[in-house]
Amino acid sequence: MALDLPAQAMAPNRKSSVVLASLTVAFAALAYSFYEVPARPGRIDRPPLIKPDALAAVPGTIRISAGQLIRSGGDVSGMDCYACHHKESPPEIKVDAVGNIILPKEHSDLIISMRNCAECHPPNDPVKLEYDDSGNVIVPAAHKGLLSMAHGRSLRNNNCYNCHDRDQLDRLHTPEGASLKFEQATLLCASCHGTTFRDWNAGAHGRTGGYWDRHQGPMKREECTSCHDPHAPAFTGLIPMPGPHPLHPLPPRPETPGNDTHEL
Amino acid sequence: MNSDAPEAAMDRRSFLRTSAVFSAGVAAIAAGLAPLRQLGKFTSVDEFVQKYYKELTPEEMKAVLARIEDEVQRQYGIRPHVRDYKPMNGVEYVYALNLTRCVGCRKCVHACVAENNQSRSPEIQYIRVLKMPNDGTFDMDKGDHNYAPKSVPEPGFFYMPVQCHQCKNPPCVKVCPVKATWQEPDGITVIDYNWCIGCRYCEAACPYFARRFNFAEPSIPKEQLNLNMSYLGNRPRHKGVMEKCHFCTQRTRVGRYPACVEVCPTGSRKFGNILDPDSEVSYILRNKRVLVLKAELGTLPRFFYYFDV
Repeated sequence: MALDLPAQAMAPNRKSSVVLASLTVAFAALAYSFYEVPARPGRIDRPPLIKPDALAAVPGTIRISAGQLIRSGGDVSGMDCYACHHKESPPEIKVDAVGNIILPKEHSDLIISMRNCAECHPPNDPVKLEYDDSGNVIVPAAHKGLLSMAHGRSLRNNNCYNCHDRDQLDRLHTPEGASLKFEQATLLCASCHGTTFRDWNAGAHGRTGGYWDRHQGPMKREECTSCHDPHAPAFTGLIPMPGPHPLHPLPPRPETPGNDTHEL
Repeated sequence: MNSDAPEAAMDRRSFLRTSAVFSAGVAAIAAGLAPLRQLGKFTSVDEFVQKYYKELTPEEMKAVLARIEDEVQRQYGIRPHVRDYKPMNGVEYVYALNLTRCVGCRKCVHACVAENNQSRSPEIQYIRVLKMPNDGTFDMDKGDHNYAPKSVPEPGFFYMPVQCHQCKNPPCVKVCPVKATWQEPDGITVIDYNWCIGCRYCEAACPYFARRFNFAEPSIPKEQLNLNMSYLGNRPRHKGVMEKCHFCTQRTRVGRYPACVEVCPTGSRKFGNILDPDSEVSYILRNKRVLVLKAELGTLPRFFYYFDV
């Protein structure tokens, strides 16, 4: 090659040859560095993403009263189920022979409230309550699965006729004696939970939707019994949706606050 | 083959040598530049010469929106509605979040992703829910955002979702070297994705970990694309730009609630116009005990945490 040639023959071209050769080496190195980067194995090693199916299996976000579901006539597209369902194809509601809604498995934590006693009990035939030794109402076997008596955390509000009217089972009554329809249950709740009712009236309690700007459209409100089961108003647990997807497998989290807090 | 020209400046040997070196050099240059072919699509001329957002005339804005609709249609095969929603007069948005009620179900996180066309892979989420021990310390260092129990809430913990606080004194806006992010009159700090150079200064400046960077080209399944798009909001982003919560400009600027407010099953999230004394956020700020996260930094967030009881 060039370096083997006699010095005299090389003299005029040697400088340019050296420059060209070094440029060649430089560009070849550049090309090598470009090609090397993606070829390095394990450089981007992401665990697989959560499948959309896993998200769709998360149970319902809200509790819908039976009345709402029946009135919707199968079209629940206005009820904010879009996290899982598609707007164009609202889910079909299946009803059993008695008229109760059959809940699909993934909605097993959905609580259907607002049962109408008068479906089974004649309205003017008061039901005699039976109490156990500690003064709690004995829930009859026929109501298993329909009712769980858990209103109030310490002093359980367990007397049916605190809220239901003894003489008219299709009506409610407040402690002050006002008679209310089932649809007015919010006012019944307000007779004890006044501060919460005040917040709810101001829009500060409960789920909201629709329009914040009243000139553009209505604000969507929920009644107490849309979210709370009146017989067991405390919220049961929800299944959390997936958290942030880590680029790398997470290290076990230390019991005491560690040093891995740089992210926030 | 003509070797009988010894007086010529270049003999056969030096010609071959020079041409060999030269062709090797050309090949090396070509090989060196070859990765440029993988750059894929180049920025279109229209996009390259687009003016600054605040200098665009309405006609120019219309052309820009049409161009973005074309781009989305080319990429996803569906034509979206891209609009430039302007702030309303006499409106300043405030967000309030009830720490007593939040159960940490992360419904808001995923409603936000679906509404705002965030990249699904690699995953980008605007909201982070911190699980905090209920030991009275309120120590952010003890927060855990990777919790995954069978059921929430877990006893002994409370949950604190963190997202963009839409500060009145935003550090992210101050550090932007190209003014690609600014605060609008209604209080929303927005980003022009066509102006952002991806330096990530704002991400470093934000004390609330609210800003996200597109490290890779975002990917969204075509059928999950939200076609109601706003220029400063949820239109698809490109690789190399910042994004963050913008209070769903495509919803709130036409009077609707943000997606995270509507989806919250416990009603912990409240949103409204603080200049309207009858709005729920005005009621909350008047009547509830309110907490501002990292108040000592002087960022003056428009995002308030409050407590019942």
